Amino acid sequence: MEILRSGLLQRALVEVVILGATCGALGVWLLHVRNTYAAESLAHAMLPGLVLATLAGAPLLLGAAGGVLVAAGLIALAARDTRVGAEVAVGVTVTTAFGLGAVLALAPDVPARLGELLFGDLLGTSTTDLVAAAALAALVAFALGAGHRSLAAAVFDPVAAPSLGVRPGRVELALLALLAVAVVAAVQGLGNLLVLALIVAPASAGIRLGASLRGQIALAAALGALAGLLGLVASAELDVAAGASVALAAIGLYVLAALLRPAAGRAPATRRSPIEALVS
Amino acid sequence: MRTVFDKLSSVRWLTDPLALPFMQRALIATLLLAVPAGLLGTWIVLRRLAFFAHAVGTATFPGLVVAGPWGIAPPLAALGAGLGFAGLLSRMTRRGATTADAATGLLLTAALALGAILASDVYRSGAGVDRLLFGTLLGLGDGDLVLAGAVAAAALAATAALVRTWLATGFDPAGAAALGVRATRGDWLLLALLAVTVVAVLPAVGALLVSTLLVVPAATARLLARSLGALLGAAVALAALEGVAGLLLAYHLDLPPGPAIAVIGGGGFALAALASSVRTAR
Amino acid sequence: MSAPGAGIEVTGLSASYGTGAPALRDVTFTAADGQAIAVLGPNGGGKTTLFRALLGELPATTGSVTVRGATAYAPQTERSRLDFPVSALDVALMGAYARTPWYRRIGAGDRALARDALARVGLADRAGARFGALSGGQRQRVLIARALVQEAGVLLLDEPFAGVDRTSEEAIMRILDELRADGRVLLIATHDVEQARGWDRVLCLAGAQIAFGPPAETLTNAVLEATYGEEIVMLDCGNRAVAIQHHSHAH
Repeated sequence: MEILRSGLLQRALVEVVILGATCGALGVWLLHVRNTYAAESLAHAMLPGLVLATLAGAPLLLGAAGGVLVAAGLIALAARDTRVGAEVAVGVTVTTAFGLGAVLALAPDVPARLGELLFGDLLGTSTTDLVAAAALAALVAFALGAGHRSLAAAVFDPVAAPSLGVRPGRVELALLALLAVAVVAAVQGLGNLLVLALIVAPASAGIRLGASLRGQIALAAALGALAGLLGLVASAELDVAAGASVALAAIGLYVLAALLRPAAGRAPATRRSPIEALVS
Repeated sequence: MRTVFDKLSSVRWLTDPLALPFMQRALIATLLLAVPAGLLGTWIVLRRLAFFAHAVGTATFPGLVVAGPWGIAPPLAALGAGLGFAGLLSRMTRRGATTADAATGLLLTAALALGAILASDVYRSGAGVDRLLFGTLLGLGDGDLVLAGAVAAAALAATAALVRTWLATGFDPAGAAALGVRATRGDWLLLALLAVTVVAVLPAVGALLVSTLLVVPAATARLLARSLGALLGAAVALAALEGVAGLLLAYHLDLPPGPAIAVIGGGGFALAALASSVRTAR
Repeated sequence: MSAPGAGIEVTGLSASYGTGAPALRDVTFTAADGQAIAVLGPNGGGKTTLFRALLGELPATTGSVTVRGATAYAPQTERSRLDFPVSALDVALMGAYARTPWYRRIGAGDRALARDALARVGLADRAGARFGALSGGQRQRVLIARALVQEAGVLLLDEPFAGVDRTSEEAIMRILDELRADGRVLLIATHDVEQARGWDRVLCLAGAQIAFGPPAETLTNAVLEATYGEEIVMLDCGNRAVAIQHHSHAH
């Protein structure tokens, strides 16, 4: 694989492997707290921040961080809505924010490169990008390690967690903060539409295959890294978009895991309406 | 931007675009689409299907990309992709193997990644991708108008026939079993109509922003309307209003319509939320 | 593993969720070490609210709560995450979390403690089994083992016998007796009025405190009617009353 000797690809490879591992581990927790919707919403709604940074010539990381903060605030506000319901309110907020981002990107005479913001620019990873992504990923990994017991207690038994010295509310908030950091780290390489793949797919596979909690997390991290490697190699060999290849590799690994270990699950007792299956 | 202000100072901001044939088609299409968008949108909001509707829209993206090169009519390709998505989703969430939102997230990103690769590297769609993702003012053919009209008629008919069933199932899902087969069949029809409406609005707003017509107007109406009848009517009216306003904005700013409608819709929702808070505060 | 000096003092406690009406009013009782107190009442009557107030999770709107000794909580296991990939031993070990700083691994001493606790509840051979794969009664026993690892002086048990098989029921009764002998305080939320007659005290809650005291004096038909309202069924020509069990878990 002499192609990988190129500096461009080396940087991309290191970044995507680190991101894959980190997002994989984080994703396990998000799946266990049943909040992948937060990842999807945050990633979409941060677009205006990305566009503004691009137009202003500022570092993308700054735009990503700003975009994520504002998005998180608006989403948290929307989620409290009692009149139309949290799901709908968040959906409206995300749609509007995303639309605003597109307006900002497409209206000016020199449009921001929307395609790269949406689908990533993995092969355009500079050394600075790589260092920043690696630092943020390290932060997330460290926090997950240090907070492992708190997370386990809070997720497994939120009712009794306070008696074990753990505050479930704070833990959930911390998890969402880590999600925000991970999204900021991954958005340059994968774009805000495709980060979700690294967060959900390797983790879903890890949960299918892993017997213990640590096993699931380790597998998810390994599969995330592997998805990064496979995707980048495929992209280089086949000359196709890099970010999309990584996303498809991650999902492909999930499909393999699902075929290897079909979930036992429970058959629904009654014939439910198809819509109930969707909103559960 | 200078010219925009110039135009706004006279009524020409309205008459100029509407003199153009393609804008007239876009206007007619939008007004027709407002009917199913508002009607279905009401059920989407009441039955908490907003994420699902958005996902179906996004899932059509790869279908739209291959439609031209494979010589398939775009609405058919989109419908195929959408139904494929729904089928896979149903399979994945059966037996509680995966939660609905995790499965949706997986399928959604798969569709986006697949579409991106097909568009950039296989078919070299280039700038055409913007059109697929965000809609276009141009290029609305007769077929699109006919489809919009047909879907509007279907939505009206179905709502008239099934409004009580849909209301009952939405209100008490557990009790729906007691309502028996009709409730389940009614839900299947609702989902089918949702899919077809998504496909119909795609040319106007694009795969990523179907929510601007299918969710936002109905959500705004929900904040304002008290009864179901008022809600249905307001949703259609708002979809029409926001759709047309978005079209004009898109024309003047040289944007695709999807994002323009999104921004106007968001503003409308925010205003309604404010008004509704003031109302309850009294 | 004894815990002398444990105790509870509650005076005039009222607590509510948010700004609505209080979920619990006028609760006054004391519990000394070695006592087992049955907490009776309908669902939604405030049993869980009381437990949360005792844990310090819910602040008291009025009145005071004093708890001496660490408090452990064994909630109904149907509500915990049965799909979560933890073993019985993992759950028991959670009892040591509060005293282990985040940068330290769980000590060997605590691991031994967890194994001992599981042995004490009769589940030494199931230490590696996944929590969700255990029976309801076994899960309850694991939660009691966790409370032992916490070295809690006060144990709050939420319907520990609900839907539990015979073996587990006997095992749990035996452990609870041992815990009383240790000097711990036990609060047991239950619907089983007959069983409540065997404990040291009963506390009847129905949104407010109806009665508190030794079962013989306190469990009169009048008190039970006031507590349970229509959910009481009279047997033996009005000499005995039993409460109808609900499994809605709505509290």
